Amino acid sequence: MKMWGTKIMYAAIIVALIAAQMVTPEMAFAGGRTLVLTGSTTVLPIAQLCAEKFMDQHPDVNISVRGGGSGVGIAALIDGTCDIAMASRPMKTKELKSARGKGINPLATVIAKDGIAIIVHPSNPLSEITLAQLKDIYTGKISNWKDVGGKPGKIVVISRDVASGTFEVFKKIVLKGAKTRADALMLASNKAVATTVEKTPGAIGYVGLGYISSKVKALAVDGVEPTKETVVSGKYKLARPLYLYTDGKPTGLAKEFIDFVLSPEGQKIVDKIGFVPVKPTSE
Amino acid sequence: MSKFTKMLLVILGVTFYAQYAYAGLAPGKSQLKAYTWFRYTAKAEGALTELDASYFGLERGYLRWEHAFTDKISCRVNVDIFSSDKDPHGAGLKLKYGYVDFKEIIPEGKITVGLQKIYWGTVYDWEYVTIEKALEDKEKVVASADYGVTANADIPRGMGEWQLGVYNGEGYKKYKSNVDKYPALVGNVRFIPIPGLTIGGSALYEKKEESKRLLVAGICRVARGPIDFWSELITTKTGEPELTGLGVMIMPILKLNPNLELVGRVDYWDRNTDEEKDAHYRIIGGFNYYIAKLSKGKPGVMLQVNFERKQYEDSNKEADNEFLMQLRWEFATNPF
Repeated sequence: MKMWGTKIMYAAIIVALIAAQMVTPEMAFAGGRTLVLTGSTTVLPIAQLCAEKFMDQHPDVNISVRGGGSGVGIAALIDGTCDIAMASRPMKTKELKSARGKGINPLATVIAKDGIAIIVHPSNPLSEITLAQLKDIYTGKISNWKDVGGKPGKIVVISRDVASGTFEVFKKIVLKGAKTRADALMLASNKAVATTVEKTPGAIGYVGLGYISSKVKALAVDGVEPTKETVVSGKYKLARPLYLYTDGKPTGLAKEFIDFVLSPEGQKIVDKIGFVPVKPTSE
Repeated sequence: MSKFTKMLLVILGVTFYAQYAYAGLAPGKSQLKAYTWFRYTAKAEGALTELDASYFGLERGYLRWEHAFTDKISCRVNVDIFSSDKDPHGAGLKLKYGYVDFKEIIPEGKITVGLQKIYWGTVYDWEYVTIEKALEDKEKVVASADYGVTANADIPRGMGEWQLGVYNGEGYKKYKSNVDKYPALVGNVRFIPIPGLTIGGSALYEKKEESKRLLVAGICRVARGPIDFWSELITTKTGEPELTGLGVMIMPILKLNPNLELVGRVDYWDRNTDEEKDAHYRIIGGFNYYIAKLSKGKPGVMLQVNFERKQYEDSNKEADNEFLMQLRWEFATNPF
């Protein structure tokens, strides 16, 4: 019995060590209410600014906002490690199946619309491109700018990684399901794509409207400029809704936060950082 | 036309169709994954006064290479490395998976050709919430992998999944002279009518000259909030003269927080229901602590502690007790 007693004692020590490890940063926010958002780097700036404003108005609330991509956010919702998943694409059948199997009932709230802007280095003389040319560039059929009416030179293709909702939407609308060329640089965030294009004269990439700046040049696609107006009117084809996913109808703090994002104050933030509001921005 | 010829034609047909449909696409990326299970085991028979065994071992180490040839064709090769005193070097090695997936040939699904999972009961998505194997794997009702061809698809709107397949039927550890000429047919379906409720059934049928093998499993899973409750019922009809077997598993899991869960499990297995006192129970209790969760390219580390007791229906046989403590870790490289 003595040996088993020793084993049980070891087990008790391990359990105690684990219990000590169990205090998460969220739990450490003693007495306050916490909310965790994870997912799309496109939705990230909206969530971050809204969270800051919301926390200013509710000092008892701590909101943690993390990126990683839509796939990572949806996985976190299924895994129970976040309250709200940020996504720039709808959930896939496989994700829905996994969620439902675990008793999660994913419900999407559209908080904004976004266009995917095709960006190049500001020195690039090109100002327009077609969806067909984009497909040829991203699948490897075209590798030189002269083949799309630009100055001769190698095209450096920048894409988002596979966890990205932006990538999924781009793949569906532009690539029509075809595979991205093997030499494309796959980056983890909109910001990384914008920064790389900004520093690489021969580069082409794609980002959410909110990431267009004077440091990169956004191309018209099929003759339509990527603007809020063309996204709202439906003329700009590379557009998609942005979602916040919750387990069932949002309740409690998650509902309060989503209501804030959809309020005129929240939608003003959406508008201010370059995305397209889905609700009025004034009372 | 022999069954072998028919099977060969199916494999060749699928392969050539897929190549034709997706030819010309550039080769894609690869990814390496590794899983290692380091385990402490203490065993005692009967009264818990003296240990019969106490040892550390590398129970399992998977090395997995995945490669996407195109968006719609990918492959996986898995080798299983484990401590083994049957080998002079103290470790054994087995090929566990080696297959190619052809996606989108069927809606929301894929055709898989090669050494792959057996889509039956709980064995194909068993995540080792307990250190012990799934009931059907432990009692050798079915193997966890086998050589074959399967169709595998999700039901729209996340309502479930289905699989149909033809396998050797002897499992991944058997080859050539240990494999008979009769293929095993497997069908599996899982429905998720409402979030949190999964109902499913599987059948494996293998007709031999003088006998048949019919294995049927029904599963029900209820998951809501911190509770996840699995149950499985197995019936088997095998051999000549025919033996009827019966198995039951129930496994409640209680998540205390995202990193810690308590787990309990009770198995009942009777390999021949006509024979008295040959059944046994397996009772397991323990916890899992996720020290670090697996995420894109980052390691996942998990501690599992289980106490397992195998109790025989025959009261003359003493119970077997095991204390198991296992550190599992797994990681994946970024695609390259």
